[in-house]
Amino acid sequence: MLRYAVKRILSAIPLLLVISLLIFMFIHLIPGDPARIIAGKEATSYEIENVREQLGLNEPLLKQYGIYMAGLLTLDLGNSIRNGATVFDTIAPRFVPTIQLTLLAMLWATLLGTLLGIMAAVRRGKTLDYVSMIIAISGISAPSFWLGLMLIQLFCVKLGWLPVSGLTTWKSYILPSFTMGCGVMAIIARFTRSSMLENLKEDYIRTARAKGLGEFFVILRHAYKNSLIQVVTVTGLQIGGLLTGSVMAETVFSINGLGRLLVDSIGFRDYKVVQALLLFFSLEYIVINLIVDLLYGVLDPKVRYD
Amino acid sequence: MKMCKVLAVVLALTMCFGMVSAYAVTPTDNDVVIAIEGNMSSMDPHNITDTSAISATRGMYEPLVGFDEDRNFIGILAETWDISDDGLTYTFHLRDGIKFHDGTDFNADAVVANFDRILDESNGLRRTPNWYVTAADGSSTPRVTVTAEDESTVTFVLNEGWSTFLNKLALITYISPAALEEYGNDIMYHPCGTGPFVCEEWSEGNFLKMIPNTDYWGDIPSVDSITIQEVPEAGTRTAMLQTGEADFIYPMTSDQEGAVAGDEDIVIDSVPSNIMRYVTLNADVEALSDVKVRQAMNYAIDKNAYIALMYNGDATIADSVFPPTISYYAPQTVYEYDLDKAKELMEEAGYADGFDLTIWCDNATQEIKGATFIQQQLAQIGINVEVVPYDVGSMDADIYVERDEATIQMWYVNWSASDFSADSTVRALLHSSMEPPVSANTAYYENNEFDKLLDDALASADPEVLADLYAQAQAVAWADCPWLFLAVDNVRSAHQTYLTGVHMDPDGRIVYEDAAIAE
Amino acid sequence: MSEETAKVLDQEPLYADAEALPTAQNRVKAFIKKFSKRKAALVSLVFLVALIVVAVISPYIVPYDPAAPDYSHMLEGPTAQHILGTDEFGRDVLSRVMVGARLSLFCALSAVVVGTFLGTVLGLLAGYYGGILESLIMRGSDVLFAFPDILLAIAIVAIIGPGTVNVIIAVAVFTVPSFARIMRSATIQVKGSLYVEVARSLGCPDRRILWTHIFPGTIQSMIVNFTMRIGTAILAAASLSFLGYGADVTVPEWGSMLSTARNYMTTAPHLVYVPGVLIFLTVLAFNLLGDGLRDTLDPKLK
Repeated sequence: MLRYAVKRILSAIPLLLVISLLIFMFIHLIPGDPARIIAGKEATSYEIENVREQLGLNEPLLKQYGIYMAGLLTLDLGNSIRNGATVFDTIAPRFVPTIQLTLLAMLWATLLGTLLGIMAAVRRGKTLDYVSMIIAISGISAPSFWLGLMLIQLFCVKLGWLPVSGLTTWKSYILPSFTMGCGVMAIIARFTRSSMLENLKEDYIRTARAKGLGEFFVILRHAYKNSLIQVVTVTGLQIGGLLTGSVMAETVFSINGLGRLLVDSIGFRDYKVVQALLLFFSLEYIVINLIVDLLYGVLDPKVRYD
Repeated sequence: MKMCKVLAVVLALTMCFGMVSAYAVTPTDNDVVIAIEGNMSSMDPHNITDTSAISATRGMYEPLVGFDEDRNFIGILAETWDISDDGLTYTFHLRDGIKFHDGTDFNADAVVANFDRILDESNGLRRTPNWYVTAADGSSTPRVTVTAEDESTVTFVLNEGWSTFLNKLALITYISPAALEEYGNDIMYHPCGTGPFVCEEWSEGNFLKMIPNTDYWGDIPSVDSITIQEVPEAGTRTAMLQTGEADFIYPMTSDQEGAVAGDEDIVIDSVPSNIMRYVTLNADVEALSDVKVRQAMNYAIDKNAYIALMYNGDATIADSVFPPTISYYAPQTVYEYDLDKAKELMEEAGYADGFDLTIWCDNATQEIKGATFIQQQLAQIGINVEVVPYDVGSMDADIYVERDEATIQMWYVNWSASDFSADSTVRALLHSSMEPPVSANTAYYENNEFDKLLDDALASADPEVLADLYAQAQAVAWADCPWLFLAVDNVRSAHQTYLTGVHMDPDGRIVYEDAAIAE
Repeated sequence: MSEETAKVLDQEPLYADAEALPTAQNRVKAFIKKFSKRKAALVSLVFLVALIVVAVISPYIVPYDPAAPDYSHMLEGPTAQHILGTDEFGRDVLSRVMVGARLSLFCALSAVVVGTFLGTVLGLLAGYYGGILESLIMRGSDVLFAFPDILLAIAIVAIIGPGTVNVIIAVAVFTVPSFARIMRSATIQVKGSLYVEVARSLGCPDRRILWTHIFPGTIQSMIVNFTMRIGTAILAAASLSFLGYGADVTVPEWGSMLSTARNYMTTAPHLVYVPGVLIFLTVLAFNLLGDGLRDTLDPKLK
């Protein structure tokens, strides 16, 4: 287990190198020229050429890659093409709101999703099952931009209970995290239910029941514990999905987070910021996946790492 | 059964949305919040070209000259100025006793120091290219020499005639040389100008908060603070205005108008802009090379329907290549919507059966809507149009190519000259030397007469000569139909009735120095 | 064969020797019988079939030309002439959603089918063989995963250009890794079970073990994920429209209708509800159908 963990961490290093190369190529494959956007619409191609020169965009791609990699190794991510600020200064202040919202969304989505999933599985085929699943599926059926706008109409404009934008008071976290978490909640509920159903008809549940253990205890201790493996996988997988949700929620609720920065930077062709953000997301992903894989071993003794 | 439940839930939700507001909005403080769509790229006034950042920095920084309401030049940091007879030397007499936010004096040396920064190409500032003539080989020479004559007198000597000099000068605002010394190009995080407001906090990509400058040389603002907040989604901006989270929003799109209709506490303002809406017609496309076809297409567009559809009727039909807010604007005869005439012209040109075209547009909803309208209108005379939405970067990559590789046919687009000069209004779009990849003449419009009129005007400084040259140029371009002429936008904003003194400039800049909140 | 193994095989008739299997005909009959007991799934199936039929024949039955503008009737709510109202060009919303069903369903289904196929094959191989193959496949899907779905799709559309086929490709690409990941973990789980060990010890060739023993054991997770993914794909297409990277803008599609409609949310709410409710019901139906199929196909379910 420990050996496996070390092996995985070591194997993540070449993976990151490959990813950084892919990100670099991928960004430069997107047509467009930041110099033209910087120079402004009235600029002529000669002026744009000068801007390109200043930004180092005229260097051969290989050399630009070299500069980028050398920068990475010394943790110097360069300067934003758009306004010359360091990439670190650009990203750092946007990091907090995104992480806060992601964690909050994850928290309520996991709690509610699990609850709905268990209720549905236990009351399989009954009204509670349908109601739980309809609530869950509603979460994944509404596009998040649409959901966000509907929530603003209801809770902010009509009722005046919650603020529309920003992250200033605790109240302002409610709608964005709800919007972000809905899809994840649905998926967690869905997978909890299906894997609970599988487990509930296993022999050991029959045995546990036969032993006269309380139903609540049987469900939680035996069935749910064994469902965790599925739930953990799915939850891990959803982090990427949450980032997507964060782009939408950040746009709708005007939150200055990483998702919006990334979309804006892609639009602006701010290569330096896009590179740094994608690399950061990749790193985050690798770490979460590693944790998920290791949890398999903890949760399911049948899994062998060889 | 399940479906019924679902429907019930949906219906219940619908009813919730139908409820009326259960509260009233009143001002709770003396702080003004302005919600804008755009992104304020930087707080370094020499390194910005976007209207949002210009709006924001103008609270803290001021230019030598500006415009009054009729778009005449007025002195701001300069009290008066003289122009030499040859139009090459401008002498500015600066206002006395003005101090920067850091307490240092604003004087002629400060103006020189600011221009030293702007004219230094190695700083990579976005305002720099305006002050250079760039030749086709990439070599560039500065247009001006700036000298301090004494404490309060500064001269600008031009290397050649440049009729838009004052327009460009109005775009430059002045930073404290002491602050520049200390922070260099990091000045964007430490704004220090002469303006009525002092920067309290700039959260990049989020908001700018400013408080009054108590040592201001003019009237000190009456509000406690001004916050300009970036809110990209139109529905969110409207909601913020309705709840009182924002006191002023820009832009207020016509789609959102219905949302605040009947709300007595909200006022929508509309002022004529310098934004021209048009569709370029690439004359290199065989069918579009015939001026009769281009005229026929202009006759086939119902401009009133366009304005009703896109702007709820709140815009002006374009009647020149210049918007009315630009100096030397001369109105022409509009190509009135006339399908019979259009069909006749198509037949004369030999295209009675029509042909196929593509129209490019930005991928924003409103732009796609406009392009779709053009598609519907041209279908009436047999022209089959395909709408192709693009993101800006990708479209640039396809537009700015060598002429023989060009694939652009029609482009649904808009233009506004940031300096309000007649030259900037059309040069990049219609002068034959500005064809891609050099610049944005995507109509590939080539008319030597037109080129000469523009070039002569640029070298002149006599208003009468300029008026004559520009009137001729407008008539020539109008007859040639390089574009489908559509409309000139109004700049639309909305605010709560308790807020006064905030208004829009025609270029989309928000003016908020006189903001006040009623008790 | 130990007593225990025999017992396991006994309980798993699907995976036992061929002779023990019921005939194909009987199985179909049994399936239909079991499936028809699941009312929710049955209703969903009927709804989806109806939807597909409408989508296919829509050009012949629409009351109006879905592209024809009528500038004198813009943004009108439901009336006798236009049952579902008109949009910002005065076009008939009913006709547009009927025709829109074609593109929406086509995009989502084809993207998910392509993505599922590739993802399943890769996940099975990775889970079963392990080693370098697994590392390659899983690291590859990690790379894809590392990019949030929508950004990956934006990047793909930005590189290869807008258009229906390109949107399908973009959505298919981000479907692949999730299937690979889930299939792999399901495969690892099944691989550890007794019946696979037995089959292996009996000297079954890998291919046979993969397809006849492991693959059927993973079908449930597949179906659940597949139905979920169709919903995701429909929503992804809508999100792409929201961010300005949608499919062909001149052909009606639910997602783009919805994202355009957001500007008229307060003035013409029917524009938001009609495609919104249709997307909602369609995703719901796919999910309930998947649920029903899962329960019916599950050999352990008595």
